[in-house]
Amino acid sequence: MSAFRARSGIVWSLLVPLVSVALALATAGLLLVASGTDPITAFHSMWSAALGSSFAIGTTIVKTMPRLLPALGIGLALRAGLWNIGAEGQIYVGAIAATGVALFGPQLPFRGTTALALLAGGLAGAAWGAIPGVLRAARGISEVITSLMLVYVAVQLANYLVEGPWLVPNTTFPATEPVPPDSRLPIVWTGTLVHAGVVVSVLAVLAVWFVVARTSFGLRLAAVGGNDRAARVAGISVAATTIVAMAASGALAGLAGGVEVLGSRGQLIEGFSPGYGFEAIAIALLGRLNPLGIVAASLLFGALDAGGAGLQTAAQGVSSSIVPVTEGLAVVYVLVGLGVVELLSRRRRAKAALEEAHHLDVRPVGQVAP
Amino acid sequence: MDRHFVSLLLVSAVGLAAPLLFAALGEVVSETAGVINIELEGMMLAGAFCGVWGAFESGNVAVGFLAAAAGGILVAGAHGVVCFVFRANQVVSGVVLNVLVLGLTTFGLAVVFESNLARQVSTLENLRIPGLASVPVVGRAFFDQDAGVYAAFLLVPVLWFVLNRTALGLALKAVGERPQAAESLGLRVNPMRWAALLACGALAGVGGAQLTLAGLGAFTQNVTAGRGFIALAAVVFGRWRPVGTMAAVLLFAVADALQIRAQALGIHIPYQFLVMLPYLVTILALAGLVRRMRPPAYLGVNYQRE
Repeated sequence: MSAFRARSGIVWSLLVPLVSVALALATAGLLLVASGTDPITAFHSMWSAALGSSFAIGTTIVKTMPRLLPALGIGLALRAGLWNIGAEGQIYVGAIAATGVALFGPQLPFRGTTALALLAGGLAGAAWGAIPGVLRAARGISEVITSLMLVYVAVQLANYLVEGPWLVPNTTFPATEPVPPDSRLPIVWTGTLVHAGVVVSVLAVLAVWFVVARTSFGLRLAAVGGNDRAARVAGISVAATTIVAMAASGALAGLAGGVEVLGSRGQLIEGFSPGYGFEAIAIALLGRLNPLGIVAASLLFGALDAGGAGLQTAAQGVSSSIVPVTEGLAVVYVLVGLGVVELLSRRRRAKAALEEAHHLDVRPVGQVAP
Repeated sequence: MDRHFVSLLLVSAVGLAAPLLFAALGEVVSETAGVINIELEGMMLAGAFCGVWGAFESGNVAVGFLAAAAGGILVAGAHGVVCFVFRANQVVSGVVLNVLVLGLTTFGLAVVFESNLARQVSTLENLRIPGLASVPVVGRAFFDQDAGVYAAFLLVPVLWFVLNRTALGLALKAVGERPQAAESLGLRVNPMRWAALLACGALAGVGGAQLTLAGLGAFTQNVTAGRGFIALAAVVFGRWRPVGTMAAVLLFAVADALQIRAQALGIHIPYQFLVMLPYLVTILALAGLVRRMRPPAYLGVNYQRE
């Protein structure tokens, strides 16, 4: 499963995602034309809303964070060959825990409550992510289905809270009370919506890079992902690595939930995540599990999201649903592109092997010498 | 809870079960052959959309169901190309296709119907089976439903027979359990997997249409709302068998029907916990707290000829 990380060189790692994104935008353009919309106008309004001003760039950054953090975690787990399909659920429990601390926890000075709330979010996400990890380590149950099922448990838990005990009365939409201003992540770029979550995100990128590239845990992840039998022989505890990797993955997603509540939304709202955790899986793959690649892919998806909002207001009749279409297409093209690269490289290897055989004058079995 | 209430609860549960059952039975076929479809949700959504589209353009519900099957097959085909031809991981492909189909159907809604609500189309009518429908408590639930509901439940014995009593069923299991061995016996693994996958697409598409064409009569954004994942759960909970899967679907549907009626009953369980139930019991079942179960050995593993 981890083969697609290493099966091609650095050139392909960059080329395949770039070509895929270009093709996805081109396909989206064709769809817009087919639906009777001028794609130039549409793309122009997307560009202005995503990158056209400092406010727009800020919006792109804000939309990047809830995708980047879970994608980092998914990439981390995937290095160990673990599919954390349930990041969406970990985002929700992270948001629940962070909201709970911010609303009902102690009010500490120096943004202490904010830090505590983020910590709670990360821990809740870690616990939620650890469940599929434990089930896999202890009973050999695939983490795919269990982590996916836990998404809906988490979403319903959030729904219960915002429609029930945490519901603030007299609102049109189920939501909690806004968290106290002192508990929120402050704006760090005036004139935009960029909040201190950006600092958290940068730290997370650095931390994941460090763990993966510079620690023995990073090596253990790769060993388990590469060949768990060999890892076991080398004295690595596959069970412990599995559980820790899934918990760390969940922690990053839970942190994303906390950042989203304390930074962007200011309260827990029903259905506040429109599938960030699922998009993050696509992002982790688009970024080829590399922390920097994941940053680039998240920025792209964040820009598409910010641009899509502009599209909705600018071009009448065009649905901003062209954005998820573009995202989905980009990743489908990446999957196809990686397949093509592998098929080509296999053909090349086969050819090289054949030439070598000729060179050594090795005849295929059964061929009789003249 | 009086008898009248139970009867009404069953009527609505059986109706709610039908879309899930189509999709879940399709997934049983596909997973038996070793192909996992996280995009079952996307297949249902494509079917729900294409069903309304087809019925709207033709004015005929049957055409709608055909279009729905085609829509599901299209998603299955994309999954097959990405996984079998380009050898991508089946889980990744499934997750991504869900994102793509949600976007495409929302986009299509705006383009085809020029609004975010599809126009109303006529729906399937109930076919009351005289005599049996008058049986107390269960009569109306099982014998006063639309053709789609009957078809879904009749599919259960048919599929049971195919899987357990025919050479085709044995071949499908071989392909999912021991692809190498199956190949050495002369079975063609990937063509069989293709067939199982496309059959699953068609069934899940019809399941989606059952939701829109038998019930709502219209398509709204993300109308399936996670039903594809419940169907996936039902396959696991039903231990990859048609009858078990039907039982799981019925259990989940009763929970769903209860959730809708809980308030009327004055039950003070928050409905969200009833909605959670299918997912929770599936995890517990998988964890072996109910009974030990094992998926097909090569589920989700792409087969490559040597």
